[in-house]
Amino acid sequence: MAGVLIGTLKAIRAPLAAILLTLALGFVLVAFITDDPVQAYRDLLFANFDSVGNFALFLNRATPLLLIALGVIFSFRAGIFNVGGEGQLYAGAIATTVIGVMLGGLSPLILFPLAVAGGILAGAFLGWIPATLKIRLGVDEVVTTLMLNIIVLLFTSYLSNQVIRDTASYGAVSQMLPASIWLPDLPGVRGATSGIIVALVLAGVTWLVLFRTEWGAQLRASGTNLRFAKSVGIPADRRIITAMLVAGGFGGLAGALYVLGIGHRFEQNFSPDYGLVGLTCALLARVHPIGAVATSIFYAMMINGAAYMQISTDVPRSLVDLLTGLLVLLMTARPKLKWGRS
Amino acid sequence: MNEHDEILTLSAIAKNFGDKVALKHVDLSVRRGAVHVICGENGAGKSTLMNILAGIHQPSAGTIQLNGRAVTIPDPITASRLGIGMVHQHFTLVPSMTVAENIYLGRHIRKYGLFSDRKAMTGRAAELIERFNFRLDAEAPVRSLSVGQRQRVEILKALAFDAELLILDEPTAVLTPPEVDELIGIIDGLRSRGRTILFITHKLREVKAVSDVVTVIRRGESISTYPTATVSETDIARDMVGRNVFLVGRGDSAEPRRFGAPVLSLDGVSVTNSTGRLLLDAVSLDIRAGEIVGIAGVDGNGQTELAEAIVGLIETQAGTITLNGRDITTASVPERLQAGMGFVPEDRLDRGLSITMSVAENLAATNYSRAGLTRSGLVDVARRDEFASEKIAEFDVRGAVPATPAGQLSGGNMQKLVIARELNRDPDLLVICQPTRGLDIGAAEFIYSRMMAAADRGRAVLLISSELSEIFALSDRIGVMYSGQLLKVLDRKHADEVGVGQLMNGGVTAEAA
Repeated sequence: MAGVLIGTLKAIRAPLAAILLTLALGFVLVAFITDDPVQAYRDLLFANFDSVGNFALFLNRATPLLLIALGVIFSFRAGIFNVGGEGQLYAGAIATTVIGVMLGGLSPLILFPLAVAGGILAGAFLGWIPATLKIRLGVDEVVTTLMLNIIVLLFTSYLSNQVIRDTASYGAVSQMLPASIWLPDLPGVRGATSGIIVALVLAGVTWLVLFRTEWGAQLRASGTNLRFAKSVGIPADRRIITAMLVAGGFGGLAGALYVLGIGHRFEQNFSPDYGLVGLTCALLARVHPIGAVATSIFYAMMINGAAYMQISTDVPRSLVDLLTGLLVLLMTARPKLKWGRS
Repeated sequence: MNEHDEILTLSAIAKNFGDKVALKHVDLSVRRGAVHVICGENGAGKSTLMNILAGIHQPSAGTIQLNGRAVTIPDPITASRLGIGMVHQHFTLVPSMTVAENIYLGRHIRKYGLFSDRKAMTGRAAELIERFNFRLDAEAPVRSLSVGQRQRVEILKALAFDAELLILDEPTAVLTPPEVDELIGIIDGLRSRGRTILFITHKLREVKAVSDVVTVIRRGESISTYPTATVSETDIARDMVGRNVFLVGRGDSAEPRRFGAPVLSLDGVSVTNSTGRLLLDAVSLDIRAGEIVGIAGVDGNGQTELAEAIVGLIETQAGTITLNGRDITTASVPERLQAGMGFVPEDRLDRGLSITMSVAENLAATNYSRAGLTRSGLVDVARRDEFASEKIAEFDVRGAVPATPAGQLSGGNMQKLVIARELNRDPDLLVICQPTRGLDIGAAEFIYSRMMAAADRGRAVLLISSELSEIFALSDRIGVMYSGQLLKVLDRKHADEVGVGQLMNGGVTAEAA
């Protein structure tokens, strides 16, 4: 068990150090903009904990980020540069919504698992398309996953505007899901989705599957050296396709849980780029599921906290974008810095 | 001895990387105009020592004297200014540029101090080629050159900047036997022009063929220095390994060996690539239980495809492959491995290992079920690491613990990992390609003994190698591949190196008896 702990510490040490350095540099910038940089920073990071409501909103942002990051980790470990998190998220959300709205008469005992499964399958299908194209025809997955994002986004816009639109509401939103299949709140935190528990448990499961099963070892072997994997008898093509099914499934689950636990309906363009931010979280965590818990939480804090910061000081919320850029820069520059050298 | 007879003197050089001691204590003095071989096993510290001379690493202790003056060599540029030229094992050439452009890369001759003067560069390069008699075309793109020719470009790069002392790091590792002979000729030529050459190798035959003086390094210490003429290969080998070694082959047993039923049968197996070129041309071959069949040939005549077709990595267009009486022509790689095959690919970095994964995971890759490394669906990490530790000890993999990324090991130690992994399943058929490429004698001796033991246990072994000495030392029968065809399979007793050498060039020789 001690070995696991050390391994985990090692995995999160790098992102943690980069995050701290980013915050320090960001503070200097904020000091130029506002007279009260301490207040701005306090709000950016800690306003999330000022009230139960703020805390709930923060958790609601962390949930989809972490789930998408976990999916990305599966695909990247298999050597697939999957940038389709956004599309997979939307596919899951719309599938869950359509099932929930169309089959609203069913017993919640049937409807709830059906809606969740529908979301996962829709996301998985979206992962399967680029994986198969890649394996069978050698089509570059970056292009296909990126383009699928746009296709799905526009398709869901059409559905939410035309087919399942709630005409009594303002804006392009679907009808409400039956309240009987809403996810319950996190115990003790009103307004926070209990989906965060699912995401945290799945982070542990992801670690276990990737690093403690033969299947995970085969998947990582395929991702690090495909020709080696094939030579030692790993059905690498199958592993890669399965990894993308899982990755898409995670994105789809993020969408399903968003609709069931947070939005309770499909809203057009509901995601503030969770797909891309989730990808960033995964990369900053060095494609490690436990590290991704830390980076997702940090990002959720920043994205949510920026709103409070903007209200209380004159620092614009786009500071977050700037910090993101800094963070990415510092993470990639890390090997040259040679921290903690003996 | 006059002090100026010595171009280079190293005293008590040591080098640590963190806690790891790469060099403990090296003394070395190199006479001007000599070919001085540094000999040692993989991981003995040869390359570290040379990198110190080339300015890539800094010594942790000790002094370097060049032409009688103490020097420090902080970087490669200083090294080249001091007249030290380094030719690395892996080339650093730009394939799309010409020979001349590569030689002057980064230090182009300028016209009006601004424009690259191609004509002047080509002229100077041609002059240089002429002077050292290198037989190269200064205007040929490097892309079109053979490995041996590329190496000569590397050597010219060093010579173009008046290197007095030329360091060649394992220069023969990438060469075919005829190219090695050519290189030895080139080195002789350089010596007669007054250059001093430090030549790193672990191949004893080359030591004798090329050098005036040999220094043996073992585990970071300089052990001994001999004039080459007065020392035997056996003595050098003993100093390298630290004990007596006997690189024995399979030899001829008193009574003829009895072989069992065919384990592998190929019948008219052909492989065509996507452009329609025939890579394997109707190859038929039986390998019986207890037999080692060696396949000789110049690289690129279909040996790689033969191995990959047998293992199932490439599709065959004609013929049948039978393993233990079962037709496996269309079976997948995992099915074939399951059915009793082991595969050691020729290039460990390409197919043999995942360099970013740990030693333990690389060793476990084909052994999870056989070695019992999983428990109720999960990998038993303690058991896996214990398995890895056993293999590391058994195969003497140096510088490795189970968690070490495989890419951090030296080439020879990586090779031991691959072989340890594949032999663990004790396969009925072992397909083993270039088993000792880049390995030192101690390791080669060990690998040979394991291959022979497998055959003695009744396993079939297909050995593919471009080292004729290896083929002759181990094989019961010898086949030669030329241009996709398996020309002839001779009994070892009836084969000789000259005849097989002719066959490798496509020539025909009269079969004895």
